[in-house]
Parts: sequence; structure tokens; C-alpha cells
Amino acid sequence: MPELLDKIDDLIEALEELRLHVGQADLHVGNHRVNSQLYFTLANVCLRNRVALLYGGMGANKTTLVNLLGSAFMGLAFDQVENLMITGHPEQTEEKIVGFIDPRQWSCPSPSSEDETIEVLWTPWAKSSWKVINEINRFPSGKQNLFLELLQKRKVSYAGNTLELGDTCYFATMNPDFSSTYPLDEALLDRISVSVPATQPDFLSSLALRDREKEAWELADSLPKFEPHEFERLPSLAGEVSLDGQVELSIISLIRDFTLCERAPANDKTQLSGGAKPSRGLCSECHYFNNPEVCCWQIDEGLSDRVRQDLRLYTRALAYLLRMADSDTKIEVLRAVAPYVIWHRVTPNRTLLDRPPYYGARKLDYVRDLVEKSINRTLNERGEMNMIFARAVDGEISLREAIEDLSEYDDPIARLDYVRALERMA
Amino acid sequence: MKLKGFMDDAYGGKVRRKKRLEKRSGDFVLGFEDFVQRLGEKPSRKDVEELAPSDEKHLLSLVTSATPENNKRDQKTWGYLSGLAAERSPEPLILPARDFAGLGMKSGMLILDAKSKDQALSPPSHVGEGMTGGRILVRGGAGHYLGQVMEGGGIVADSCEDYAFRNMKGGWGVVKGNAQNYLGVGNFGGKILVKGKAGLRTGWLMHGGRIRVNGNVGYYLGLMMSGGKISIGGRSGGKAGWRMKGGTIIAQGYGPNVGAGKVGGKIFRRTAD
Repeated sequence: MPELLDKIDDLIEALEELRLHVGQADLHVGNHRVNSQLYFTLANVCLRNRVALLYGGMGANKTTLVNLLGSAFMGLAFDQVENLMITGHPEQTEEKIVGFIDPRQWSCPSPSSEDETIEVLWTPWAKSSWKVINEINRFPSGKQNLFLELLQKRKVSYAGNTLELGDTCYFATMNPDFSSTYPLDEALLDRISVSVPATQPDFLSSLALRDREKEAWELADSLPKFEPHEFERLPSLAGEVSLDGQVELSIISLIRDFTLCERAPANDKTQLSGGAKPSRGLCSECHYFNNPEVCCWQIDEGLSDRVRQDLRLYTRALAYLLRMADSDTKIEVLRAVAPYVIWHRVTPNRTLLDRPPYYGARKLDYVRDLVEKSINRTLNERGEMNMIFARAVDGEISLREAIEDLSEYDDPIARLDYVRALERMA
Repeated sequence: MKLKGFMDDAYGGKVRRKKRLEKRSGDFVLGFEDFVQRLGEKPSRKDVEELAPSDEKHLLSLVTSATPENNKRDQKTWGYLSGLAAERSPEPLILPARDFAGLGMKSGMLILDAKSKDQALSPPSHVGEGMTGGRILVRGGAGHYLGQVMEGGGIVADSCEDYAFRNMKGGWGVVKGNAQNYLGVGNFGGKILVKGKAGLRTGWLMHGGRIRVNGNVGYYLGLMMSGGKISIGGRSGGKAGWRMKGGTIIAQGYGPNVGAGKVGGKIFRRTAD
């Protein structure tokens, strides 16, 4: 449906013409230079039951952008979209967010209420298929647990009642750590599919913003509106983009590179807890420790299977938006997408950020370099060992011969995944 | 599809051959804590030198970012590293004045800032211990054991506490102010100049080398010394040269019992010009 892509292009053009600041063109995908804040938000519109988090200082147009897109895709006025948003603060409760028990059922019982089911009044947010959680890190830590159940789910439960949501677009925004914010729980962060930094306008953007005559809510009226069937069609269009073997293999290897740990239970870094972390001395004198080519010791956390799903989905969605669905360079899309899917889920070793080339607070750049290393290694250096493993699994060579050959590879995937898998098969 | 088919699809039939994970070149050290953990209980200079980053910038960053715990293993490790950093630095290296700074240093110039706001309350001890070359300048007072067992090089400090230049074998030390007790105990060589006063037992058990104190010194000057030369610009306390076996003491005046039990050596009184 190229006309739908044309309409999305019109929307992007309209946002530019209306001088809405959406940051610089900082996302490099092959020859494309696009804006990460805008394109990841649009990619999330093309998916369902995934959460895109816009992260940045105040006034970076995070909420405005999401609400403007909500207005365009849901065909609603800006005010109506704003009403579908919940904002984090310590007094937020499940009753305010999801729904509450209808008190009228006890004062004026209706004949239908004899079946003893409790009637619940669902909030507009709960019923909407466009859900925005504004300032998510202003929810106290305990209340953040509520979202563990809500996010990525197709239904909401309250007081024994279940509301079928169907497919939903989730967005969240948050500021960096301020005096009234709370740290986000690791499990909640894992449910956030992609996290995109939202930056302040640079000099040229500030100049362009001078020419903006309309307020944000007025801009919504000037944007092209999508029909409901068009909005609903987007996930299937993005889903039609096929991922080649190169991308699939790189995704799996990338996750294993981050997750494998020789010293963790079942070689799985997601099993680590407490003080047993690479940054707290777990890797001291380990075979791979201090080897800059290996990721395992540089990051405290392993990656869950959600990351694999997110990498596949966002690679497809971005390839669709950039009209790269038929391109044989979709690996470039994965290179661009992966850092944004991973960086908020992991904690790099602090000491490494303070070493040359001095990443410091630029955690995303650090993760981008690790991703780049892993993908390059998979594509350029792991070919032979992958072929040995594949031939052994397919029965073309003996398991013993393959184990002997693979034992010579000083690669975590060969030693901890391949050899052990073949040993189990033997 | 078989797994080989999947891999063929991924690599398009172009598999690079025989590429192994490259071994690290040189040791990559995370931080001072990590560095200390990888050494034995009693690290020698050789151990530290082998493990220290070969890159000068990394070494310097390791030394400057370190916060050694209050134990000898950490302190000595930092001391060795500070000496190595000074040796490799083309310019004088300025570091906070910590215990064991310049330990075993062979060359280079180390400036220890003992007057900075961040400086610990007690002055740094064991500065320049066992050094064989180079220069150390302590901006401020040094603590105990300044230049202990040093064999070469030179140290300048504003003042020092007990046991300065103990068992010294070579090199030189200058104290611009006062030295406390036991200056130059058991020395075999080297030269010491104290521009102010010195405390008790200066040159105790001295075998060789020279000590010059411009001011007065306390009791037991040159106690049981067997060689070397001690020159005092002012007066000495009592029992100077007690049980002395050799060497020379010169001072402007002496307290009671000078040369008591003396079996060798010479004691002179400097006459006024």
C-alpha cells in the first residue's frame, strides 16, 4: 500500500513545515539520515503492543510529538488525545488509571445485576488503543508495578472484570533523574521496547522555531488525518517486510553476545543478582575479561527474549517506513535500530565509560559501538564456526569432529553455546 | 530449512576462513581496585611493572584516579605506580602526597602536593622509599620514613618526621625546615642536609655517608656510629658520640657526657671564626 507510505511522508513533511522541533537527523540507516525521535515514534505506530519511550529533558517536545501523531492517526482533536494520556505522580492509583467499580449498581440495582458480576467503569485511557504514559518515572516505584501487567497486554483486568483492548499503541515519556522522579524497575525497562533520546533544538532549529506561528494544539488541525482502517492496516504492512538470514543471525548472535557468561548459572547473565555482576568483580581473571572484542564482561545485564522480538519488529517497521522493504541491506536497519532497543536495558561498566574514547554519559554511543562490534564479528569472523556448527547439527559431519574443531575457537558463542549443544546431542 | 541452509543464506556463500578471536594486546585494566585485586598479597615492583598499562596516558589515569585503601598492599601498589608514572612522564609529574609515593622510583621527577585542600591530615610517610634515581619534591612536610633505604636520586621536603633517610645507601636528601628524631639511622652512604633543627639520636648506628644539620640536635648524636661524618651547625644535646666506634662528629658545642664509652672515631668542637 504505497499510498499509505505517501501519507506518512506527507505527515512528516507537514510536521517539518509546521516547524515542530523533533531533534536533528541523528539516525543513520544506510544512505538515509533521519530523525530518531520522529522515526522511532512512527515505527511504534506501525506496531502494536510495543512501548516506545521518549527520554529527555523538559521542553524537548516528547509529549507534544506523541499527542500530535495520536491526533493524526486516531483522527481526534489534540485535546481529545491529551485526555487519553495519564501522567505520573505519587497520587496516581489503579482506580484513576484503569477504572473503578460503578457505585450506582448498589444504589439502583438493575435486573441485569442479579448475576452478581461487579460492574466497572473503565477510564478513557484503558479503553483507548492509543495509550500514552506521560512522565512514567514520576510514578513511585511500587506503582510502577502496575504497568508490568498493563504494558504489551491485549486486555486489562480490574475487580474481576476484564476489558479486551485488542491491539494497542503504547508510548511513554520520561525526564532524566530529577528531584521528584523515581528509578525505573529493571523488569519495567525490559518491557519498554525502544528508548529514544529527545534533545533540545540546536541553533538552526531554534532559528526555524522563531517562524512557528501556531501553538502545538493548533498544529494538529493542519496535519493529515488517517482513517481508522489505515491505522489498523499499518502493522500488517510492516509485518510483510521479510528479514533475511543475515539479519536473523545477527540478532540471535547479538543477544547471545550480551547474555552469555561463563560464570553465571546456565551461562545466562539474566540469572545474576545482587553483588554477582561483572562490574563488581565477577569477571576477575575470567578468560574473556579485559578483551575489548568481547561484550560479556562489559555489561552487567543479559538480554531477554523480548529484545529479540523487539529487534525484529522495529527493524521491519523502520525498513517499511524508509522504503527499504525490498532492499538487501536490511542489516543496516538492524545496526541503526539495535542500540535504541538495548541501551536502556543494560548497565555498562562505569569504569569503561571513563576510559578512552571517554563515553562518559553517552551510554547510547557506547552500546552502539558494542552492537557494531557484535554484528561485524558475526558477519565477518564467525562464518566458519557457524558453518561447522550447522553442518554438525544437520549431520553432515560427526559431532565429535565438530566439537574438536569448535573447541579451537576462542569465541563465547562457540564455547558456551555450540560446543555444549553438540555435547548434549552426542 | 536445515541449519546449514540458514547459515548459507546469512553468509551468501562467502565465509571468511580461519579468523579467530584476537587476543588482547597488553593488559586492559579497569581501575585501581581491579589492578590491586590482580596482584598478590605482597606485590613487588616487578609484579606491578608487569601488570601496569604500557600506555603512558592509561598509567597516569590509573594513578590519578586511584583511592588506595588504608592498607599496605594498596598503598605500596599505588607507590610503585606513582614511581612508574614519574619514570615514563616526560615532564615533572604532580601527584597528591600519599604514603609510599615514589616507592622504588628509578628516574623522573615527582612533585608531591602536601599542601592541597584534599590532602589527608597526616603527612605522607615512606615517601621515596627504596628509590634508586630521579627526584622527589614534597611541597609541604613529609611524614615518617622519608627516603628510607634509598640508594640514589634526591628528595627535597619542607620538614620530616621520625626515621627520615633510615638505612640510606646513596643519593641525597634535603629538609628545608626541621627534622624530628632518628634522622639517618644505620646509614651506609648518601648525603643528608637539614637546614633547621633535628631531634634525638641523629646518625644512630651510622656506618657511612654524611649528615649536616644547620641548627641544634638532641641527645645521643651519633649514638654507636661506626663511620661517616656528622656536622652540626649548632649545639648537640648530651651523650653525643656515646659508645661511638668510628666516624667523625663536629658541632659548635655539646651537652654533658659527650663521648661517653667511645672506643673509636673523632669528636670535634667547632671554634668560632
